[in-house]
Amino acid sequence: MSGDRVAVDTAAVWPDDVEAEEGVVVNWFAREGRAVNEGETLCEIQVEKVSVDVPAPKAGELVEIVLGEDDEFVKGDTLAWIQPS
Amino acid sequence: MSQAVAEERELTMSRAMVEAIASEMREDEEVFVMGEDIADYGGIFGSTQGLREEFGYDRIMDVPIAETSFIGAGVGAAQAGMRPIVELMFADFFGVAMDQIYNNMAKNTYMSGGSFSVPMVLMTAVGGTYNDAAQHSQTLYGTFAHLPGMKVVVPSNAYDAKGLMHNAIRDDDPVVYMFHKRLMGLGWMPSPEGPKVGVPEEPYTIPFGEAEVKREGADATVVTLGLHVHRALDAAEELAGDGIEAEVIDLRTLTPLDTDTILESVGKTGRLVVVDEDYRSFGVTSEIMAVAAEDALADLEAVKRVAMPDVPIPYSRPLEQEVNPDAEDIATAVRDVQ
Repeated sequence: MSGDRVAVDTAAVWPDDVEAEEGVVVNWFAREGRAVNEGETLCEIQVEKVSVDVPAPKAGELVEIVLGEDDEFVKGDTLAWIQPS
Repeated sequence: MSQAVAEERELTMSRAMVEAIASEMREDEEVFVMGEDIADYGGIFGSTQGLREEFGYDRIMDVPIAETSFIGAGVGAAQAGMRPIVELMFADFFGVAMDQIYNNMAKNTYMSGGSFSVPMVLMTAVGGTYNDAAQHSQTLYGTFAHLPGMKVVVPSNAYDAKGLMHNAIRDDDPVVYMFHKRLMGLGWMPSPEGPKVGVPEEPYTIPFGEAEVKREGADATVVTLGLHVHRALDAAEELAGDGIEAEVIDLRTLTPLDTDTILESVGKTGRLVVVDEDYRSFGVTSEIMAVAAEDALADLEAVKRVAMPDVPIPYSRPLEQEVNPDAEDIATAVRDVQ
């Protein structure tokens, strides 16, 4: 373990061509406790019918999933936390 | 499903199918995909999502709405040595291309005295539960499994979907790969709990003709496939609360059919419930019961089938929910045979 937890940020992956400020979590592909690689697809979110794959911003352990499947969120909300390895 | 552990990457069924197709395409340049809306759109149920970006339009080909032509083209390409994966957008549309499917894809190897192989995968979306009415909601399992010459595959979860797809593409004979829309993990059609499971990143095959016992039990055998595997597991969970232990068998392939697993289970339980989203008459339920009656009559204490009644599938939500068997219908049937 090294450094602070890193947020998986919805704003970082927000699609360019939509006006909506809200979205919904469709699928998680990892559970809490999984060691993830940087860039690995963690989950799928949907914003105004646009489906977006959310990559892990850092390699590490997925320590907390904040927004579960079917949860709604606004742009900038945190999906999950990664503890960098 | 409960087999998933924290360390494992999980996939939806659609992503598992795509991963298998992409892997085979990287290994063998003869593998290609064609179908309606499978390139830019990624398949209306996500079965080819992202493939066009990696492989381009030459190998991920959109086709006009002309099933006879493009399924026939698939048969020809297969006979010429390629390995086409052809998507029939809805199984319901098979009728316009029936000659290509049943008489050519299924029989050209036989009719040519073995001069040709037809290593083709016809993948197609099946099933209802989303109010798409009578011409877009059928499973038609029995229709495809009825005629000889084709293997028929029906995955119920992402792990099986990937392994069965690898096996289907590598098979030298025609395979019909029927995926249930409700299991694909789409944002606009959420799946039940169950089809999204841990999926290894490396390629692997699941052989055809091997059913899986999803849950063991001594009081009744529930044989099913596709979406209804999950409904049967829900029913079994509920029944366990009442002290009734149901064994749930996922057929995984209809042709070849794993009769051994069915007969072994019936030998243990003596009570057989067959659950099918296809029509009741002349279908999977009748076939499984006939197998049990022919080969295990002495073991049978009671049988019951749970299937779609012989009516066009209603558009109306409450009416469709009424005719499509749910977990409660399955639990009731299991209680009836006790």
